[in-house]
Amino acid sequence: MLLGGMVLFALCFCSIVTVSIGGRIIDALRSDESQAQATPAIAWAPDSAELTVAVSPVMAPSLEEMAQEFNRQKRETPDGQTMRVTLQPLTPEQMVERSLGQTPFQAIAPDSSLWLTQLDQRWAELQAGENAEAGGIPPRRVSDPVRYAVSPIVIAAWESTARELGWPDRPIGWQEIQRKAQADPNFKWNHPSTSHAAGILATLAEFYAAAGVTRNLTPELATDPAVLDYVREVEATVRFYGEGEEVIVQRLAQEGRDFLDAFVAQEQTVIAWNQANPGERLVAIYPAEGTLWADHPLALLELGPGDELAVTDNQRRTFRAFADFLTGEEAQRRFLALGYRPANLAIPLDGPGSPFAESDAVDWRQPQTTLQMPSAAVVDVVQNAWWYTKRPTNVYLVVDTSSSMAGAKLERTRAALRAFVTQIRGNRDRVGLVEFGTGVKRFEPLRTMNDAGRAQMLAAIDSMEADGFTALLDAVYEAYADLQVVNDREAINAIVVMTDGQENDSSLYLEDLAQLFQEGETPVVVFTIAFGDDADEDLLQELARIGNGQFRRASETDIEELYRVISTYF
Amino acid sequence: MTRTRWIFVAIVTVTLLIVAASLIWRASSGSGDDLGLTVERPDTVTVRVITALPVEPWVSRAAQEFNASNPTVDEVPIQVEIIAMDGLAALGRWDRNDFGALPPDVLPEELTEAERQALEDFPTAWIPDSRYLVELANASYKERLGRDVFLTDGQYRARPIAVSLFTWGIYESRAKVLEQALDEISWRTIHDAAVAKGGWPELGGDPSWGYFKLVVPNPSKNVGGLAAMIAAAGEYYGRTDIRVEDITDPAFQQWLGELMGAVTDFSSASAYTAEDFALFGYSVGDGGLLLESDLLQNMQGILTRWEDPLVLYYPEYVTWFDFPFTVWVGPETSALEKNAALEFQRFLLSQAQQEAALVYGLRPANPNVAVDANPESLFVQWQDRGVEPVVPRTTAMRSPDRDVLLALLRWFELNVAR
Repeated sequence: MLLGGMVLFALCFCSIVTVSIGGRIIDALRSDESQAQATPAIAWAPDSAELTVAVSPVMAPSLEEMAQEFNRQKRETPDGQTMRVTLQPLTPEQMVERSLGQTPFQAIAPDSSLWLTQLDQRWAELQAGENAEAGGIPPRRVSDPVRYAVSPIVIAAWESTARELGWPDRPIGWQEIQRKAQADPNFKWNHPSTSHAAGILATLAEFYAAAGVTRNLTPELATDPAVLDYVREVEATVRFYGEGEEVIVQRLAQEGRDFLDAFVAQEQTVIAWNQANPGERLVAIYPAEGTLWADHPLALLELGPGDELAVTDNQRRTFRAFADFLTGEEAQRRFLALGYRPANLAIPLDGPGSPFAESDAVDWRQPQTTLQMPSAAVVDVVQNAWWYTKRPTNVYLVVDTSSSMAGAKLERTRAALRAFVTQIRGNRDRVGLVEFGTGVKRFEPLRTMNDAGRAQMLAAIDSMEADGFTALLDAVYEAYADLQVVNDREAINAIVVMTDGQENDSSLYLEDLAQLFQEGETPVVVFTIAFGDDADEDLLQELARIGNGQFRRASETDIEELYRVISTYF
Repeated sequence: MTRTRWIFVAIVTVTLLIVAASLIWRASSGSGDDLGLTVERPDTVTVRVITALPVEPWVSRAAQEFNASNPTVDEVPIQVEIIAMDGLAALGRWDRNDFGALPPDVLPEELTEAERQALEDFPTAWIPDSRYLVELANASYKERLGRDVFLTDGQYRARPIAVSLFTWGIYESRAKVLEQALDEISWRTIHDAAVAKGGWPELGGDPSWGYFKLVVPNPSKNVGGLAAMIAAAGEYYGRTDIRVEDITDPAFQQWLGELMGAVTDFSSASAYTAEDFALFGYSVGDGGLLLESDLLQNMQGILTRWEDPLVLYYPEYVTWFDFPFTVWVGPETSALEKNAALEFQRFLLSQAQQEAALVYGLRPANPNVAVDANPESLFVQWQDRGVEPVVPRTTAMRSPDRDVLLALLRWFELNVAR
């Protein structure tokens, strides 16, 4: 009996040890796998004919259609490699950042040439030492830029709103929109973040209006306190800060006519919306002071200096073939049908079947004038000044650290939260943390994101541990309740809640929370993230709806990117 | 046979087998010290021509025709490959030795196989926008190698293949207002329009036009931008020879700064500025100084896309681009490649190709070919929009030297681009 017990004990012990060690090995392998998925090694064969193009999100759907058609043609290089184009959507700002080092893409298609200039300028600064020896002609990071479609940036407004403003009988300017937004609390408008050309233009227009000029905007003028005050006041009227116009349009489709009265977008968005949506149409207001063009260049990156993996000859051939394909007659007519102005000047905009000929919501004779695009240094000031003039933000990160989050999931979540906290740059923004499992495990109150506050928050994130059940709603309530106590109505108040599982431990029900949200005096926006396949998506979607926010799905590979994107809303 | 004889035969057989195997191995592996004695004739000789953007469409079309005609040099077939590159970008690459020219103390026969392969893509010839770019590249290599790499005389000398000049292209509605309010179109008139504080309404134009907007290429991206600034300096000083002290004169810098302040967007002003002009119309520029051939190529596009036609005006001080076909004379390319490049050069200078250049708005380098020699000539098509078969004023600007160009670039970078 004793012997039998000892044998049984030994077997159990061995089993536990085996399972434990095995589990750790499997976890380690999974963790490695997950990390490998998150940061794939950059490599391509010396004769590769596969071209990866980083493309702006606003153009990604149209370009994807073109790339698929190009790939179907199975074109070959002289040595028999099949040419292939794959796309990677990225904000133009990210394209510039990533193109300064080794990238997994060999070409870029931002929404405006202004990003190419910014990239070349930053590249020349990086290479300044070599350049000085070479005699003053700066090296370039981009080459062979080709434009395949263009679209002016406009103020897209519902027809009834536009008519109230005076359309189409008289010109309407940026300043009128800004004044209307300041004077009328019911007027809801929006513009994309400055990671996109449309966002830069809208913000730049505010700077011009504030400075009382329409050209020669200098860094000194842009950072003048009176100018920043004006921009801050106008930005306070912006309904919410978006990623890009494609997200604004997505929300418009979800939430309907009353979501916004006007927003800044490229002219093509107006055409595409009207083509797809019956009911009240959008019209394009071409700002009287001037606008900018989204000129959609496609350019090759001159990778290769130092230890960098160089663009292959075959990739260059694919680039040229794809550029020729995009500027060919068939693709150009397709771009016109999609609402873009084709780069091929032989194609008239007012010809039969053209969306420009069929509607007065857009006018191909416009714009009459453009705002002066200041130098890259001033654009940089405008981009950074935006962080300091926008509405301050109070945001609670509500994070699930129940037992199912153990291992790679928690590690990826920590990385994502760290990225989020690092991304928040304005020192008027505050971030708090609510960690939940079996109830609320940790409550870190709102802290200003100065160096000390950020360091404290990063330490709290690093010390998170996974265990327990999932008291999601209780945790959301804690954050919501604190925002009501803080009662900062000048700021954007938001909760970003993430879970990978099912609510199973809260004392509150969703209906209770909905009731509290209705009663609250300080408006709070709720973003919800379903992490993985097991999350309760229905609950999260409903929570986002109640909180007038957004629901998003994430996996281990894109959670970090998603948090980064959400941070641009603040 | 005795045992001794068997052993002898075996030794001889083994020896012969070893020698035979050795010979077979040497033949199959391709190694051997005697390779240098063998003169290898390639199956095809490839001519790589770096070509300035204004002539690239014509030269590329000509290259297709040339390749289709099965040309040979010393009975070896020739294939021409055109590499489109702005003259300034190409000059930067020569300056930085991006193409990998050999140091003066290294001979081609001393190279390893890998080093030889690295030279396979070395350009055989260069067609820059202007001969002064050739001189600048030579100056750079003279410092590095102690000799010229592009010859200015002899059979490999640079030969212009076509010419074009910088002209004013202005939207008709705007040009009428300017001529009425100010004077004939010149840098002075454009400057006055640029500094008009009240914009177009002050000049008598439509308020919706905003401020006067000038178009010139971005000098750090397009050599045409430098040419425009040199032309402006010529008119400012009333002479053709511009020196560094002219560029650094504060009064001139202020005047030039006011002019450049009327450019709305240097970021989207790519190498193809006349195309920008057509694509974005009067919204980005009311008028500008651009290459005549570029303007002519885009006249139809402007009419198709915008309601207002473009009109051409010839400035008092003219800057010419002569697009010299220039063969690299260094040891990085073979004699066969150099001679093949000359064959293509001759093809471009043929009567048929010179007439074909007219369709691209380029003036033939061959003075015997008239600008109306081709019925599709853009000079014929746009005669009523101001294009002149014979340039009315011929005060040509002299080629600026390297220091003048770099001084202008530095001024632009510090005062406009930043």
